[in-house]
Amino acid sequence: MLARVWNAIKFFNPNRRGEFLTTELEVSRKNCLLPGVVFLLLTLSAVALFLIPAWIIQPFRYQSPRALSLALTLRQIAPAGTLLAGVVALFLAMGLWPRMSRSKKSAIAMGLFFTAAAVVMARTDYFEWMFHRVSAPGFQSVTDSKLDPGEMVLAVRFASEARAYPIRAMAYHHVVNDVVSGIPIAVTY
Amino acid sequence: MGGRVLHFHLAGINNQNFLMRDEETGSWWQQVSGQAIAGEMRGQALELAPYDELSFGLWKLEAPAGQVLAPVAKDAGKYESNWEPKVEKLPTVIDFPRSGLQSRDVVLGMEINGQSRAYPLAAVLAHAPVEDRLGGTPVVLVAGPDGKSVRAFRSQLDGADLELFHKSESGWALVDSATVSEWNFTGCATSGPSMGKCLQALPLLKDYWFDWRNYHPQTSIYRR
Repeated sequence: MLARVWNAIKFFNPNRRGEFLTTELEVSRKNCLLPGVVFLLLTLSAVALFLIPAWIIQPFRYQSPRALSLALTLRQIAPAGTLLAGVVALFLAMGLWPRMSRSKKSAIAMGLFFTAAAVVMARTDYFEWMFHRVSAPGFQSVTDSKLDPGEMVLAVRFASEARAYPIRAMAYHHVVNDVVSGIPIAVTY
Repeated sequence: MGGRVLHFHLAGINNQNFLMRDEETGSWWQQVSGQAIAGEMRGQALELAPYDELSFGLWKLEAPAGQVLAPVAKDAGKYESNWEPKVEKLPTVIDFPRSGLQSRDVVLGMEINGQSRAYPLAAVLAHAPVEDRLGGTPVVLVAGPDGKSVRAFRSQLDGADLELFHKSESGWALVDSATVSEWNFTGCATSGPSMGKCLQALPLLKDYWFDWRNYHPQTSIYRR
């Protein structure tokens, strides 16, 4: 296993890059079509791994059980899937690059850009762009709180500890992780 | 979950009910049911903690030493005070047109012994205390002195059913028909023969009708 890892590193080694390029190039110089098509497919699948779930999981769109299950499955494999597609696409691009015309080079650069974007988005919880999470909830005493008496709160009590989570804040953050009297809870609205 | 602490964050939406994901396993959890619908934890369900939805004014009377979640400084400007009428106007993606209720009618959902019923909030506030029977259990929905908070209790004391009513039109005090004791909004008797005794609180879910109906297909609707 270690040897294989080392080989992979050697493959990336810039000092060896020329060696890799010449041997690989000689084999495939005659035909750029296959790597080109594979590159395109990799780019499309990486982008699809991000876009399909994003399309399905829209707030004002109906989610059928099947579509939702597809979206969540894709979302789950997307971090590894996009990365794999990205790495292979990068290798193909490196091989193709010297033999490409300027317009094809820009197409390849664009493909790499979209794939990189998919790699990033697959790891990003974009729902939290709109609703920021509460990383460490802070608390105030009843007297310090500036909350209006008419405002609604979600309230819990475990043993002697009572805590209130104002709905107005919860309607923005939606989820707060907390521990009350040693009991871990997720408050959600 | 199974002795393991999970930390949740917002990760999506399923027919306008949020999906949460936990950091530890990356599983997806449905907000309303606490069930994992995808990922390693699929099929598991979180335990619902007893909680209340009430006004800050009432809560601080009951919990003067309690703690209130502090606003997150950088986000507090985005907390909306008037979000409810705005959300009310948003389109829904699932509707139950012949149910007699509008999709965004706010209901208080109750589930006992596998039976579920939606109590329209407006009806409860107008007619509280609402006496009912669900899943073979006598229940009462009580509106607080603030006229907006609602709690539900099993209207039974020492095995005998009891009925609660407001003592007079002017005051809030609740009195029971069996022992003529006075009861407060926490469901405990504050004077009379039952003094010191408390009714069993029952969980209520305040939700939009479409969402409650979606997750409780067999639900009935309370009609007065």
